[in-house]
Formats: sequence, structure tokens, C-alpha cells
Amino acid sequence: MTAIEVEHLHKTFRIPHEKRTTLFETLTGAFKPPTYETFHALKDINFTVEEGEALGIIGENGSGKSTLLKIIANILRPSSGKVTALKKITPFLELGVGFQADLTAAENIKIYATIMGMQKREINDKLDDILEFAGLENFRDTKLKNFSSGMQVRLAFSTAIQTDPEILLMDEVLAVGDMEFQQKCLDVLSQYRKDGVTIVFVSHDLGAVRRFCDRTLLLNKGEQLVLGDTGDVIDRYVYGGGEEASTSGSQNEPDEVESDVNSEDQNPRWGDKTVEITNVEFYDKFGNRGSRFNSFDPMTIRIFYNAHKKVSDPVFGIALYSENGENLFGTNTELKNIEIDTLEGKGHVDLMVERIPMITGRFLLTVAVHTHDQKPYDWHDKQYSFDVIPTGRDAGLFEVPCNWKI
Amino acid sequence: MIVKHLKELYDYRNLIWQLAWSEFKLRYKNSILGYFWSLLEPLLMLIVLYVVFSNLMKVQVEYYQLFLLLGIILWGFLSRATTIGMFSIVGKPSMVKKIYFPRDIFVISSCITALLMSVFESLIFIMFMVFFRVPISVNIIYAPFILLCLFIVSLGLSLALSALNVFYRDVQFIWQVLLQVGYFATPILYTIDIFPKNLQKFVLLNPIARIIISARDTIIYSSPAKIEDLLFMFLSSTVFLIVGYIIFSRLEPGFAEEI
Repeated sequence: MTAIEVEHLHKTFRIPHEKRTTLFETLTGAFKPPTYETFHALKDINFTVEEGEALGIIGENGSGKSTLLKIIANILRPSSGKVTALKKITPFLELGVGFQADLTAAENIKIYATIMGMQKREINDKLDDILEFAGLENFRDTKLKNFSSGMQVRLAFSTAIQTDPEILLMDEVLAVGDMEFQQKCLDVLSQYRKDGVTIVFVSHDLGAVRRFCDRTLLLNKGEQLVLGDTGDVIDRYVYGGGEEASTSGSQNEPDEVESDVNSEDQNPRWGDKTVEITNVEFYDKFGNRGSRFNSFDPMTIRIFYNAHKKVSDPVFGIALYSENGENLFGTNTELKNIEIDTLEGKGHVDLMVERIPMITGRFLLTVAVHTHDQKPYDWHDKQYSFDVIPTGRDAGLFEVPCNWKI
Repeated sequence: MIVKHLKELYDYRNLIWQLAWSEFKLRYKNSILGYFWSLLEPLLMLIVLYVVFSNLMKVQVEYYQLFLLLGIILWGFLSRATTIGMFSIVGKPSMVKKIYFPRDIFVISSCITALLMSVFESLIFIMFMVFFRVPISVNIIYAPFILLCLFIVSLGLSLALSALNVFYRDVQFIWQVLLQVGYFATPILYTIDIFPKNLQKFVLLNPIARIIISARDTIIYSSPAKIEDLLFMFLSSTVFLIVGYIIFSRLEPGFAEEI
């Protein structure tokens, strides 16, 4: 059975150039029609969510994910098209909606639980459980303003999860709070999954989406790019499917990094340019150019060069840095005993990475071509970068291959 | 559609009450005298106005204290309900943007908050009634209907004001001025007789004037309400509510975007 049906949904926001919030401005401006910037937040979105299914929605910031969720929740109205929800919707767009700093914990629980659609008797029955779960039994009659923000989030969360949703809309609620809290959220989500609750889940945490969602919808600038099996869609998102990569690919990155390095009073590029490195590109497992990779996937680093003179026996090398500038790894053709006889004209060399061992983060790359006695032809210091998107749940920077034995 | 909406509101009755009650509690949360302020406030008003009007202006009205107090309480309700109501949407941006329930719940619950405050104030009035040994007649049965009309007028106004205030923030200032004008244009401090006969017709176009006059007649002076007044009240309050709802529901879809 279908739980949510979205048909030809469009949403346009009108952003006035000068905002008229007072009647006076509206009257005086009556003869000068206001000029608007129209912004298409969502363009022709179509999908259905089946009962008991978990649908993930992913996309860049500003791609319309939250707008879509708010329209499903009936908070915003579509400009055209239709959204039908055949069951009761419980939105978790923010925790602690309606919390009042001047009321006590117990009073706030009552209000919040009522907003979340719980019945009076249910609330009274569960009040103690909620306080216990939040670890705040002793603060029942303490005003909310005397709580730390962590306590407030705990209180809101333990109240919210007492609801019995039919359709749950979840927007980045996981993003707040520490690791332990995120883990709690994920546990609750798994429980809801088991109970057959229909879930629409918006997140940047691709690892969580991969684990929880049967299908995933990828939005890009308000357009529905793909809807399908979560694994495929995440691949498409990470590797961009070609079009995305050409705009946000490695080409644009050097500028950004350059300014960083320059501030340290160092020219990030040196060498006599007898052999010039003209560009560096990253290729994903599908052979598409990109700057974002799933961890543990293969990757190819392609270095384009232009040898202005005939050069014999050059060495190509790379060094990998974390975002904070720690050197993580370095290698070159000399260390690998690869001999390059002579180089002339334009060409490229590839470094094939079988499996990216990094778990998550942005990584900087130095590429260089130099002589065997370290005289640089062209050295680009930390000029290129790529992002690694986590696929598993291990923590840290690198995966260490290992197994547990008990 | 109306029936469906009423059913929806009935399902949300608990929420309406929770919002109204918590708002009521919040009003007095940080004051030492707490709820007693709502008793003291009209009492102090009464003393000032009574001294001015009965001694200096020599108003000759039977039970003038009660006359004045009832007027103050009823007008106070209208003024408070519309003022709280006007801010019920703009004052809760986090709720409007992050969760959905029928938006008129905000307005209804704020009118109920005002009602709770006025009910509290009425205790003073009841004490006065007992103190001055005012006889009570069966005509008091009209009172609930009259008060209901007042509530409906206030709700209608609040709906319109709360929605307009989202889009035009100067509505709040305009409304404060209108309330001031209304305070003196409505027979609260005086009887309607001070107006010349031909002007009285216009004064009586104001439903609040009829509501206050009829409330005094039936509660204090043991006389029945005029059928004409009751009919006028009923019709005008219905019109206020309908117009209020039309304005509200026209503007309601834009609330979350505009706030």
C-alpha cells in the first residue's frame, strides 16, 4: 500500500528585492510593483513511498531536501502538483519544538508530547519513563532554562521517541549531539524500521542512509536526479555521474587550496618547469572524473604533464596530506623502481589506487616531477584535493585491516 | 469542509488546552504576586476610574462600581484576546516552521488564554456583587450567550489580525490605536445616554457596545436583554468570525515562508 504519493511537485519561492513588511511600505509602493527573484526550489518531483518502506533523500546543501520534507509535512505548500499522505505524519524536523524555557521539565514534556500527537492519558503514563530515559528523574520540576543544552536535547529526544508514528519524517536530527546520542537515534530508527513505520529520512550521513533506506532519492538543485536502490543512488551522488563532476571537480580546487597555503608565506609551486604538470584529475571506479569518493573504492590519479624539452629519467611522485596538513603517505616512481626513459611533449601518467583506505574527510595531494637527485621540475604542493565519503561505521581517518577473534 | 475542520479541531482539543494553559501559566511565572496580579489589575483600574468619574465628573449611575468593573473586564477581554491573538503566529516561528497542525489552533488557544485571565478577574466582580448585595434575577441566563458572542467577536478579530500581522507588522500598532479609540467610543465609562439620540444609533453599530450594555442589564440590573440586541450580537459576531476565517485561511499557506 502506498503511504505517500508525490506527483509533479513544484515549489517556487519568491524572494523580493526589497522586502515590504509594513502596510505603509505596501501602500507607498502600490504604484511601483515589487520586483521578485524567483527561485525554483523543487522542479517536477514524482515518487511514492510504500508503507513500511524507508526512503532516503540526499543531495547537496540547497538541493531542496528540507523543502521537500516540509511540503510532505504540510508546513510549506506546493506551488503546483500534489502531495498525498495516506497516513498520519509525524515530523522530526527539529527536536523540542515548542519548548518553553520558563516551564518545568514535566510541563514541557506534556506540551511537546501533545504537539507530537500523543494522547493525554498516554502522556501521563509515560511521563516517568521519559524522564528516566533522559536521565533527568531528579529534575522533574526544574525549569528548562536551568538545563544544559545537552539535557534539553535528551529531554526532547526521549519525549519524541514515545510517539507512535505511522509515517516518520526525519531531517538531520542526527546531526546534533555527540556520538552516543547519534547512536541512540540510530537505534530508535532501527526499532521503527522493525515496527514497520514508513520513514522518509533526509541526511548528509551517507553511511546512515545506506544502512537504513531501501530506496533513495537524489536531488540536485531542485531536480530529481535519480530514485532507486540506495547503493546505486549513493554511488551516483558520490561519483556525480559525469555532469556534476565537471563543475565541482578537481579543476576548481587549486584556487581554494592555494589561498590557504599562500597565507603561510610559501609559494605552493616551484621548479624550473622543464617538465610542467598541467593538470591533475581524479577518476572513480566508473571512469568518471570527480573529486568525491566512497571509502574503500578504487580511484585513479591522473597527472598531465608537458615536457618542453626532452628529459631523461624523471621521477613522478605524490604525497597525501590530511586536511590539517599531516603527511599521511608519499610515494614516487623511483621508490617503486619504475624507470621512465625519456619524456617529451604532452602526456599523462596514472597512479591507480586499488582501494582508498581513508574513512572520511578531505585530503590534499601534492604532485611533483623531479630528477633523481631531488631537483624539481615542477612541484605542486598540496594543490589538489578530494573528499572521501564514509561507507561503513568505523571511526578514525584510516582503516586498519583487522578481524576480531573471540 | 467546516464539519471536517471542526472534527479536526476536536481531535486537537488537548493541544489547544495545553497551549492555552501553558501560556496562562507563563504570564505570571516570574511575578511574586503571581495570579493575584490579574485580580489586582482591574481593581486598581477600577479605583482610579471610579474616583475620577464618580467624584469629578459626577456620573450618576446605580451600582457605578459594578457598572464600571463589568465594562472594564469585558473590554479587557476583547483587548487582551486580540492582542495575544495577534502575536500568536508571529510569536511562535519555531512551531510554525517545524511542525504542522491547523494554524488556527494558535489563535484559538490564545483566545482561551485571555478567557482564563478574564475568568480570574471576574472573581473580583463576583465579590463586589456579593458585597453590594446586588439581587440576581433569572435574566442572568442571557449572560452566557452574550459572553459567547463577545468570545466569537474576539476570535474573529484575532484570526484576521494574527494573519495580517505576519505580512504587515504595522498592524499591531494600528490595532493598539483602534483599541484606544474603541475604549472611548464604547459605553464603558459612561452610559449611552450621554450621546445625542441621533448619534446613539451609530454607537450601537458597534457590537461590543451592545454586548456590554446587555451584559450590564442582565447581570447587574436584573432586566432582560432586548431581542433586537441579541439578534444583532449573534449576526455581527457570526460575520466577524466568518470574515476572520476567510482572511486567515487566505493568508495561512504563506505563514511558514513569511515568518
